[in-house]
Amino acid sequence: MTWHPRERYGRREFLGRTAVGALALSGAGGLLSACGGNDTSGKSTTLQLARPDKPVTLSLFDDNPAIASGLEPEQGPLRIYNWVDYVDKPTIKKWAKQYGVSFEITTFATMDEAIAKISSGAASFDLFFPTPDRLERMVLAKQLQPLNLDYIPNLQNVWASLQDPFYDKGSQYTVPYTTYTTGIGYRADKVAKRPDEYANPYDIFFDTANKGKTWLLDDGREAPSAMLLKNGITDLNTEKAEDIELAKKELLAMIGAVNVKVSTEDYTKLPEGSAHVHQAWSGSMVAAPYYLPKGTGPEVLGYWFPTDGAGPIGSDTMGVLKGAKNPVLAHLLIDHLLSEAGALSNFAFVGYQPPLTALSAQRLVDEEYIPKNLASAVVRESDFDNGFQELELSPDGQKLWQNAWAEFKAGI
Amino acid sequence: MLCVAFGYVDPILGIPRPVWNPLQWDGGAFSFVLDGLFSRGGSFQRVFLRTIAYVFVAIALSLAIAYPVAYYVARFGGRWKGLLLAGLVAPFFISYLMRMLAWINLLQDEGWVNTALRRVGLVDQPVNWLDGRASSVVIGLVYGYVPFMILPLYAFLDRIDAALIEAARDLGASPFQAFRMVTLPLSIPAILSGVVIIALPMFGDYYTPDLLSGSPNTSMIGNQINLYIRGGQQVPVGAALVIVLMAFLTLLMSWYLVATARAQRALEVPE
Repeated sequence: MTWHPRERYGRREFLGRTAVGALALSGAGGLLSACGGNDTSGKSTTLQLARPDKPVTLSLFDDNPAIASGLEPEQGPLRIYNWVDYVDKPTIKKWAKQYGVSFEITTFATMDEAIAKISSGAASFDLFFPTPDRLERMVLAKQLQPLNLDYIPNLQNVWASLQDPFYDKGSQYTVPYTTYTTGIGYRADKVAKRPDEYANPYDIFFDTANKGKTWLLDDGREAPSAMLLKNGITDLNTEKAEDIELAKKELLAMIGAVNVKVSTEDYTKLPEGSAHVHQAWSGSMVAAPYYLPKGTGPEVLGYWFPTDGAGPIGSDTMGVLKGAKNPVLAHLLIDHLLSEAGALSNFAFVGYQPPLTALSAQRLVDEEYIPKNLASAVVRESDFDNGFQELELSPDGQKLWQNAWAEFKAGI
Repeated sequence: MLCVAFGYVDPILGIPRPVWNPLQWDGGAFSFVLDGLFSRGGSFQRVFLRTIAYVFVAIALSLAIAYPVAYYVARFGGRWKGLLLAGLVAPFFISYLMRMLAWINLLQDEGWVNTALRRVGLVDQPVNWLDGRASSVVIGLVYGYVPFMILPLYAFLDRIDAALIEAARDLGASPFQAFRMVTLPLSIPAILSGVVIIALPMFGDYYTPDLLSGSPNTSMIGNQINLYIRGGQQVPVGAALVIVLMAFLTLLMSWYLVATARAQRALEVPE
């Protein structure tokens, strides 16, 4: 299971998940049959597991059409279902004024929670932010409606490679929202050596000089993926038992060497000094300066990501849910968030970079959206050419990764 | 929970699908859990044993703190009893999460604990309390649950008839002997109640190790349950872990019920 940078879990989530797990109903009743072949129309109903070298055109269904062109916006309120703190309310408020509508934002902590709620039909939302690794499953379950791109002319502002992504050829169901990389965050004023000063940058995680202050992301794909890359394995979706076993052994060795800890609070642990080295998401590093103590400048923070872009990279998307009561408004907001003004305004709060051609690395630094010393946290379009994405696994593959992670989390 | 543990996960949406008909139950998740518990070096085994150790130490420390506090308030509180109890309980109107976050601030390198230790000269350099040590997790468990032991102890100690202690003193017992032979035996049911009240949530705790440590070497069984329940194809494994934990706690509860019944019988005055 691929986790998301915004998954910051808590006690309430655990209690809620136990209830959801016990009470999840058959909102996806006939889907087991969808696992095994084609439906009578000949459309693929199996999981195709999209990969950059195996692009996927998602199925369209007659009973799940896109909205017609040229419709008037609805009266609202527009219901947005998103991660916590992953969209800027003032940005939406300003947009909503033009149409005289109101909006409501409901949040979720994990994609599993979100999909369980959508599947149960307990609540109705219009705009949703799926991760690419769950997209295919949501389409097969007919939980997303196809987009009418006539309402989203600002899609042309997006990087060309993400206008027609491999996981959704033709952008039939989604458009991109943000992009991020996973690298190594560090306190430049505390570590003896920066990651790029090691023969293998990932060796910083094993340096006993940082014992007790070394952290990995609490993520069952991100942390093992770093160990795969450390050993030159670039297939971050591998389902080979020996690769996953190697990653697990490296993680267990890290416990012995530096008593490594795990968290998803990379954006606070580095600024507050609890961590000197923390596997980190790029968006977290953009946000991290705001959490520094008074009087401490952003120059104490550093972020390493391979200069050739050969590291973990990801993107999030926006889509309209089937059964949305305000699909036109949802389309229009998507279009606004892909406009230069809307994207910049939203980015200033969210910290995760929208993939717009107008937002070059130089511009984001010159206009001080990102401090100069954290310029490596800027995601470039070319990073997707050389980067490695953590994508959906088969059920058996998921089990292998999850069991390896559980063994690491059990300690030594 | 049984139906989830013996069920499966929707391969499309990753949502657990409970199986209600026992004839269709799949025991794969339970086999996996039992193998991890009873096989040599199994990961569930070391987490379970670690959890038992932490909880027992935390209970002992909680009792060592709660009993004198409850005893003092009950026996010597006088007209200040209400105020003392309010003072003890008031911080716990704040959520558990906030109190644990406060502990992080206290235990940080530049936190109040290190500041105090350096001021009195006990240490020269800040102690890294949050470097993933077991003691931080145990302290967190004690702090989080000790008031739930103080209250039942206080309630029971406050009801002990003072005449019994007076009688012991009149018969020549020293204060310590009166405590050992009268007060302590009478308070055994309260001690057992307090132990059960705090042991049950401690066994399921996963947040304290995450917040105060983050190290895999201090993870408890609640962390493993959380990992499997959160998502993926093995939610039934998480459910099976919950069932195993419940079975273990049921055994402890059974011991508690038997022990309490025996203690009560021992206190009954023969006719």
